[in-house]
Amino acid sequence: MKRKSILSMALLLVVLFSAFPVNAQLVRLTYYYPVGVAGPLARVMNEYVEEFNALHPNIEVVPVYSGDYDPTMQKVQTAVRGGNPPDVFIVEISELPTLLAMNAIEPLDEFVTDEFLSDFFPAFLENGYSDGHIWGIPFQRSTPVFYWNKAHFEEAGLDPEKPPTTWDELREYAEKLTVRDPQTGEVIRWGVTISGGWNDWLFQCFVRQNGSKLIDYQERTAVFNSPEAVEALEFWVDLTQNLKVAPPHSTWASTPPDFVAGRTSMLYHSTGVLTFIMDSAQFDFGVGFLPGKVSYGAEVGGGNLFIGKGIPQERKEAAWKFIEFLTTPEMAARWSRDSGYVATRKSAYEVPEMVEYTNENPEYLVARDQLQYAAGKMMSPAFQRVREILKTALDEATAGRTTPKAALDQAQTQINRLLGQWLQQ
Amino acid sequence: MKSNTQQTPKFGPLEKAFRFIGVNRIHIHILLILVSGVTLAPYLWALSTSLKYRVNVFTETPQWIPNPVNLGNYKEVFRMAPFGLYLVNTIVVVVGILAIQILTMSTAAYAFSRLRFRGSEGLFFLFIVQMMLPVHATIVPNYLIVNKLGLLDSRLALMVPFWATGYGTFLLRQSFRQVPRDFEDAAMIDGCSGLRFLYSILLPMAKPTLVAFSLISIVTHWNDFFWPLVVTDSPAVRTLTMGLAMFVQQESGADWTLLMAATIFVTAPLMVLFLIYQRKFIESFMSAGIKG
Amino acid sequence: MSSSRLNLTKIRPYLYLVPSLALLSVFTYFPILYSTYLSFFRQNVFTLEPVFDWFANYAAVFEEPVFKIVVRNTVVYALGTIPITMFLALLMAILLNEQLGWIRDIYRVACFYPTMIPMAAAGMLAVWLFNPGIGLINHYLKMFGVPTIEWLYDMKWALPAIMLTAIWKNFGYFMLIYLAGLQNIPGELYESASIEGCGFWSRLRYITLPLLGPTTVFVVIQGIITSFQVFDLVYVMTQGGPADRTNVFVYYIYQNAFRFWDFGQASALTVMFVIVLLILVFILTRFMERRVHYEV
Repeated sequence: MKRKSILSMALLLVVLFSAFPVNAQLVRLTYYYPVGVAGPLARVMNEYVEEFNALHPNIEVVPVYSGDYDPTMQKVQTAVRGGNPPDVFIVEISELPTLLAMNAIEPLDEFVTDEFLSDFFPAFLENGYSDGHIWGIPFQRSTPVFYWNKAHFEEAGLDPEKPPTTWDELREYAEKLTVRDPQTGEVIRWGVTISGGWNDWLFQCFVRQNGSKLIDYQERTAVFNSPEAVEALEFWVDLTQNLKVAPPHSTWASTPPDFVAGRTSMLYHSTGVLTFIMDSAQFDFGVGFLPGKVSYGAEVGGGNLFIGKGIPQERKEAAWKFIEFLTTPEMAARWSRDSGYVATRKSAYEVPEMVEYTNENPEYLVARDQLQYAAGKMMSPAFQRVREILKTALDEATAGRTTPKAALDQAQTQINRLLGQWLQQ
Repeated sequence: MKSNTQQTPKFGPLEKAFRFIGVNRIHIHILLILVSGVTLAPYLWALSTSLKYRVNVFTETPQWIPNPVNLGNYKEVFRMAPFGLYLVNTIVVVVGILAIQILTMSTAAYAFSRLRFRGSEGLFFLFIVQMMLPVHATIVPNYLIVNKLGLLDSRLALMVPFWATGYGTFLLRQSFRQVPRDFEDAAMIDGCSGLRFLYSILLPMAKPTLVAFSLISIVTHWNDFFWPLVVTDSPAVRTLTMGLAMFVQQESGADWTLLMAATIFVTAPLMVLFLIYQRKFIESFMSAGIKG
Repeated sequence: MSSSRLNLTKIRPYLYLVPSLALLSVFTYFPILYSTYLSFFRQNVFTLEPVFDWFANYAAVFEEPVFKIVVRNTVVYALGTIPITMFLALLMAILLNEQLGWIRDIYRVACFYPTMIPMAAAGMLAVWLFNPGIGLINHYLKMFGVPTIEWLYDMKWALPAIMLTAIWKNFGYFMLIYLAGLQNIPGELYESASIEGCGFWSRLRYITLPLLGPTTVFVVIQGIITSFQVFDLVYVMTQGGPADRTNVFVYYIYQNAFRFWDFGQASALTVMFVIVLLILVFILTRFMERRVHYEV
């Protein structure tokens, strides 16, 4: 650090003495970014930043790899408490209320135009809004999709090109696809796996498919024990306990390997693992919409770009330039190809390289097409606590320890107590 | 004292004892091979995975020997992050921590084990408190301090908080206590007291403990993750675990082949170090034995 | 002896402690005081500015239904891992202190190396090894006819899976401490004992174990602290799930501080945690150090 500042001092002196027509005002921005999916993303990010810096001689963005989503949040929180928030950073989208409570971010209303926003997929924008202001710009975005093993479909006498499109079909297919040891009855291959770990995210998709939602952030309502939600959880319990065609619990990291090794024939997981599965699977697989009930439905996920609170206006403006740079249709398309994330803007899919790319890999279009049925991710103040409460309810129910209704009723009671203040306002 | 010049290889001090309960070398070797097999398996598995292509990683039956062998993972790991630089930083940091730790803990352990003074027990407890404080409770306050000291994003920031070690003091105190009182009395008569007694007699005698502590200290700080993540920003001062973390992702699980290759790379220097150091145990045993 | 000399002898012990104490004050006692201070303030997502509220955070801790589960998990984890870890460590240390030829190097590496694997890698590796379908562990268990255990996919088995991983990762560390302790025992004690015809058990009972006394005190206390502090494996392997069955104390503190943004409650938890450990360790040292011979 010291050496660097000496170096930059020296540089500054050189610049001053050589009577350059400079703006000696080099605006320096710290930029925290997490890496959420597999791939050489840190390197890619450094490339983007270098290109930006080359285009803007008076701005220097310093990219800082900040671990995964959770460690990034910890780093942001610590830096904010220490009084030096990062200028630009990416964190998981449902952290917005927490960032607001921390007083860590600036509203972006002064920068955005309707024209700019209108090109983004509406579902991706939802988590950027609070109290009538916009705070976050979509960047690395994903959504759950449905993966199925075509070879297993053929073995079970199902059409490998036709994934289940409704819950009923899903149940029927899962029964057909589940393979049990003839002697012990032990499951050798699960029909379907609804991945654990972020199962709260997947559950919200099921509730959406059933025509309801758990939390409405803008309206400040939280209903966890609606008939639609209970029915969705009953469906899970049906798969895991009654029919035993799905594992009752699992971890987010180990279900993609399960799918790749043929331990499960159908998988609910993020678009973020598509690249991993493509690279690792030795069989034909399909990517499709999440099966629907009343309608198709999904919730988006991933990370948004934010600007740190209280930084000087010139840095804020520079930070916005950087955000603009990262989210141009061309960059959105490039980032999508480099990372496997869904491109955040409609026009990104018209960029020639992207057209070519999606022609070759039509799997990457599924998530985009599903967006018309998707909505913003559930969020609320103290969202991580809400999430833990919901996950516990889901896990208890799929373990058969309590009924779906009782589990969700209890979650509702806890959430009413936790969010009472916010709900009443 | 045990001699090393025995013609027939002997078990060691417990030779007869083992025979007494009907245990012979073969039994012991079988037991040790079993235990080692179980503990080594994960590492060998990681090694094997690091040499595979992605399509051969997740198979229904485990495939121990990679076929075909793929060295590309290691190449890719080095392209992802400046691991060479991280390695240098890590070495500087762990050595910088250990050197000062040994200074601070030896004097403290000496005081606690050989000197009588008021409040020694209470003060000793104050030292052990350090071991009890959860890391995450210290991150924010320590960040505030390091920030005040102007040390953010420097290697020093990675070292300073660990220079005092209640753990090391405790460990060394226990080992100093094993040194008989007569030694000190004899040394006193020779006019060797205080710090000289500590550095010329006590510390050399506690060499096995120092070696053990050093290994543990090095390993701990080699693998520290959250603190370096929070206080450093630039690759110029970051450590190996920052590079390693790039291969574990919340949304997609992990980049298994690369993660395993990076793990092998990150642990390899420690493995070598341990192989050398654990031999030192025997040497130190000999030298300590001569004095005893 | 002059009086100034006498004074010096009196303060000398304290001088030896000054370097450590100075550093500890900044990086240990300040954080503790800071946590204690914060624990009296409500500061969470609903309060932008901290509000003084006496013991509200402490009361709130007990209102959370999760807290009971967290405490239970932590205790189960400690009671399950400490004895096994200690037993394995002592056994391996005693065996690996024998002369077993060149292969001893390999045994020692095999026991100690898990300590050297970074948390992220060890945790991910364990997630994979414990995978019910394609993990190595179930694959080999099946060979011995053990029915499939769902490990991390099962509420009952998730914590044991983490405990097994922890034992694997930690026993080598305690073995090393025991090895160092054994090295400090003068060899001639065994020689004379064997001349007198002492058997294995009597030697173990009268020489090895008593002389390892100070080491054992250390190992027990360190073992308790380490097991109460378990965090990394939970963080990587299960994030406390399924249904909080692997949520442990320090992970819960982390969740409160950095996931729930409830610094008040996290601080209250920290203070409680340190106090409980202090009491536990205080009682144990009192109890054990009295039974240990120091002066050889």
